[in-house]
Amino acid sequence: MARFRPDLSDEPAVRLDGVSLTYDRTGEVLSEVDLVLRQGSFTFLTGPSGAGKSSLLKLMYLAHAPTRGAIRLFGRQTYELKRKQLAALRRRIGVVFQEFRLLDHLTAFENVALPLRVAGQKPDAYQNEVIDLLRWVGLGERVDAPIPSLSGGEQQRVAIARALINKPDLLIADEPTGNVDPDMGRKILRLFAELNKRVGTTILIATHDLELIREFDVPVLRLSNGMLVRDAEYGGVA
Amino acid sequence: MSRRETPLLPETDAREAALFFVIGALCFLAALAALTTRGTYKAAEAWGAQIEGDITVVMRDTDRRTADQVADRVSALANVFEARVLSRDEVEILLEPSLGPGGMPEGLPIPMLMVVQADTAVGDPTDQIETILSDLSVDGDVAGNAGYAENVRGALSVLRLVALAIVALLSATAIAVIAFATHAALLARRDIVDVLHLSGAEDRYIAGLFERRFWILALQAGLGGAIAALMITALIVFTGSGSQGVEAQLLPRLSLDFWDIVILLMAPLIAGIAARMAARITVLNSLKGTL
Repeated sequence: MARFRPDLSDEPAVRLDGVSLTYDRTGEVLSEVDLVLRQGSFTFLTGPSGAGKSSLLKLMYLAHAPTRGAIRLFGRQTYELKRKQLAALRRRIGVVFQEFRLLDHLTAFENVALPLRVAGQKPDAYQNEVIDLLRWVGLGERVDAPIPSLSGGEQQRVAIARALINKPDLLIADEPTGNVDPDMGRKILRLFAELNKRVGTTILIATHDLELIREFDVPVLRLSNGMLVRDAEYGGVA
Repeated sequence: MSRRETPLLPETDAREAALFFVIGALCFLAALAALTTRGTYKAAEAWGAQIEGDITVVMRDTDRRTADQVADRVSALANVFEARVLSRDEVEILLEPSLGPGGMPEGLPIPMLMVVQADTAVGDPTDQIETILSDLSVDGDVAGNAGYAENVRGALSVLRLVALAIVALLSATAIAVIAFATHAALLARRDIVDVLHLSGAEDRYIAGLFERRFWILALQAGLGGAIAALMITALIVFTGSGSQGVEAQLLPRLSLDFWDIVILLMAPLIAGIAARMAARITVLNSLKGTL
């Protein structure tokens, strides 16, 4: 695992200023959100279902543009970037989706290698790296397994390995423990904590599993009705 | 050892089987329509030329020997393919619609009729035929089809335009349906587009994957349709396309020459381009909705 590349300008990894998001069908889901995630921080994002957690994460991993407000990632205003630059920025972000979003016709190896492949790298260049990462998440024996043959927990770990293969500066996970049993959930979060400690990756995890959160001594942000609350208590919000 | 890269888009997909069939069927219809239109053009051209070249010469109070002399001299003209005096039996057949099947009464004076097939591309021989009649002191009239041919030419132009409009409409429909079907098949792959997009793939990379996929699919399907059209055309051409009479001259003349093969090859090519463009536009449009 390569070392974390700190941004010497001391810019936060993520900065949201007055961000709102409105969907045509459901109306406003995020309202005037201000948020700062410092580089190398580990933060939980929690809140009831429908509070806007997934929507907030989508803005951060550049799936959507906000309706109002500005998003700065690694010191760059996202609305100023061209699509090609956005794609390059996206490669600095690893995402673990709640529903995994793995490609079923590819093997575990090929799913993990996807971000490198779309960046134009050849299998010779990344083969060992991908296998090492799959071993690290405990899937050393399932490297060439087709996705449908893997259990939910195994698929979750493939999704995590895919999010990490690019050595992202920011890792965003949406309910990464939602589809696995509590033991596996704990293991996954410890894996993230280890990654944050050893490599310095900025990590934001959305979860509504408060019991699991209590086991980690890290800041917690809470979303309620599209607004970020209890921010001062944790100090992670601007 | 280096690993083989599985294509990023699944190799087989039941949803694409329907698209394959649609493209194949439309290419078959479009190719067949284009070949038929070309056949119609050729038939119209030949029919028009034949009508324009047909000249009838009526020779009154003339014996058969003199009429044959006229025919010989007319045949020798550079712009005449053939000149022939009709026999009494042939004239009876011509007059049968007016006189009935009983034949002409014996002793009825009927003029000698000579049919001339002229090569109008070289020149109208009417004046030369009149000179020959005058030289041989034959009282006769030369009746060309120029006026009638003008009307026929007008009708044939309309026929050509209708045939062309049909093939244009069918081609446009085929392109639209292919584009729509490609769009629908691609929307079903939205999940892959999203995963690639969020993995950091550039828009052009994602669009390229789908473009190549649907280009090949449409080419293969279109080629299948074109081959089916080729087989049907070959069957019609090599079984002699039925009747040989006057009605056969009015029917489209199917053939299999160089330009027909070009038409057949164009069908899958156009289908491929339509599918490729539709894939590109659909992917780029769907990505436009994202950041």
